[in-house]
Amino acid sequence: MIRLRGVEKKYRRGVEEVRALRSVDLDIQIGDFAAVIGPSGAGKTTLLHILGCLDLPSGGEFDFDGVRVNKMRESELVTLRRKKIGFIFQQFYLIPGLSVLDNIALPLLFSKDKGANGRGAKDRVTELARMVGLGKRMHHVPAQLSGGEMQRTAIARALVNSPELILADEPTGNLDSANSKKIFDILHQLHQNGLTVIMITHNQELAARADRMIRIKDGMIEV
Amino acid sequence: MSGIFNLSVQNLLRHRTRSFLTMLGIAAAVGVLFSVFSFNRGFEEGLARELQATGLHFMVTPAGCPHEVASLVLHGSVTPNYLDTGVMETIRNIVGVNLATPILVAQLPNPDRQRVDLIYGVDTNLLPRIKPEWEISGNMPSGPYEILLGYNLAKRDNIEPGAEFRYPNLDTTLTVSGIIGQTYSQDDVFVFMPIATAQRLMDKPNGATAIGVKVDRPEQMETIIGELRAARSDLQVITMNQVMNAATSIAASAKSLSLAIALVALIIGAVGVMNSIMMAVFERSQEIGMMRAIGASRWNVFRVILQETVILTVIGGVIGIIIAMLGGRLIETFIRQVMPYVPSGDMLRFDPALAAAAVVFAVVIGLKAGLYPAWKASRINPIEAIKG
Ligand SMILES: Nc1ncnc2c1ncn2[C@@H]1O[C@H](COP(=O)(O)OP(=O)(O)OP(=O)(O)O)[C@@H](O)[C@H]1O
Ligand SMILES: [Mg+2]
Repeated sequence: MIRLRGVEKKYRRGVEEVRALRSVDLDIQIGDFAAVIGPSGAGKTTLLHILGCLDLPSGGEFDFDGVRVNKMRESELVTLRRKKIGFIFQQFYLIPGLSVLDNIALPLLFSKDKGANGRGAKDRVTELARMVGLGKRMHHVPAQLSGGEMQRTAIARALVNSPELILADEPTGNLDSANSKKIFDILHQLHQNGLTVIMITHNQELAARADRMIRIKDGMIEV
Repeated sequence: MSGIFNLSVQNLLRHRTRSFLTMLGIAAAVGVLFSVFSFNRGFEEGLARELQATGLHFMVTPAGCPHEVASLVLHGSVTPNYLDTGVMETIRNIVGVNLATPILVAQLPNPDRQRVDLIYGVDTNLLPRIKPEWEISGNMPSGPYEILLGYNLAKRDNIEPGAEFRYPNLDTTLTVSGIIGQTYSQDDVFVFMPIATAQRLMDKPNGATAIGVKVDRPEQMETIIGELRAARSDLQVITMNQVMNAATSIAASAKSLSLAIALVALIIGAVGVMNSIMMAVFERSQEIGMMRAIGASRWNVFRVILQETVILTVIGGVIGIIIAMLGGRLIETFIRQVMPYVPSGDMLRFDPALAAAAVVFAVVIGLKAGLYPAWKASRINPIEAIKG
């Protein structure tokens, strides 16, 4: 599904050049459940942003479903993100004024598909809310939710466009262990349903339960 | 599920006070603009109606400033100049003149009623011809000491036909023979009386402040006025069109001044909107980064922000129109005080087309003010915004 060869990412910080990723080779197969671990500043988020087509590598090759991403235009990247990728963040990033249902439905507002906002969509959003255990919270706004509930809302939002790949950047970073476990279980369930899940985490215990660990240090993948 | 519109509304509701104050800025500007245009329409209609009500084609007065004349004809302010008696003869001898009647308009203190009356001396026998639309309760004056009262005057003091009027410099008592029905013109505030009585009151036995002329056919007016000018050079002829133009040009300058003020208010309002939306964009840059990550294009982000701006300005515009309609009376009072001549009757009328134009205008302001913040928002780099 994903193939990285010699991928480089360089940032400019003033005159200094930061090599956030150095010659990264990585393959992700459909249905993988991978945990990305490594010390702070190692390049985990950078890697995830590249995998999520939010950022382009400075060098090397990046293929997504057999298509070369490196030279894609912005509009093509948008379509790829919209159709194939679901993002989950440490800070949830829910819209305060919107209900759980409306937050889950947010990506549909940007979808070009006919019927993305129709009757069927409503059923689908409700179904997703139930699936993440928010059946009784559908009309609440984020301020009325616990951290775990917020992150579950965000997971449902990541799923609404039926992506192939779920990318989560420290999804449990702001949660206690009980809630972390719940989130992990949901991600694990998604993997069992056939989705590809890549999750950055500092939680060794959770990382150990993933099918695969990707260790990064100083921008390089350790084998 | 409620769509992008709801998203924009919820975003605006996050900072209620800020959004509301920004809206008020736009409301003020749109309200002033709306009032200026409503007022202008009411003004011109009122003026035309009032000039029609004089029933005469032109006025002959002693030479003087045209504004003074306009003001005399319409407002009844005192001009010190009186015409001499020979003028009447000259005018009556011109072919095509249907009627020439001396008019004496003056202000006269009325201590009985503790005010200053506006008196209008005219040949009362001619009134049915020059004021055919009057509806009189009571009778037309039939003797030298009978007078007619304008509607407002009679209403204010609750005067009925048959009441008596006294002025200190006249030993005879005047009787109100009739009250004129409401005309919504200046006729509503005058005391109409036979010209001879007015001349006695003002102590000007043959005096007239103007001569009103009605011609047989309006097309002949030019020729008749030409002849009159050839005969007498010390006279001023003022047609009703000129009165209209003079009053309208005063109104026009007042209008351009108010427009200038409204435009300044508008620019300030629009900058306020831009600033407020800009702040909102900065505060929400993480959220905007998130939206980009979950599939929003630059254009999607641009539209959300632009839509927020337009919602803000349109609501502001609608509030402005409502305030203008409610506060219109106050503005009208103010205008009556600052303008030399204002027709009586309602000047502010609600015009749906004008209101629609004002709303469209608010949309345009929103589009312009939102352009830069929306562009800025669309350029937010998602990876900078959502560093994990
Ligand atoms: N936009 C940027 N400009 C300059 N340097 C950057 C930028 N983004 C990341 N970096 C640098 O790249 C390196 C990798 O950063 P990255 O965010 O990928 O680390 P991380 O592994 O996610 O760390 P953490 O666990 O703290 O989130 C760091 O040295 C960081 O300072
Ligand atoms: Mg990180």
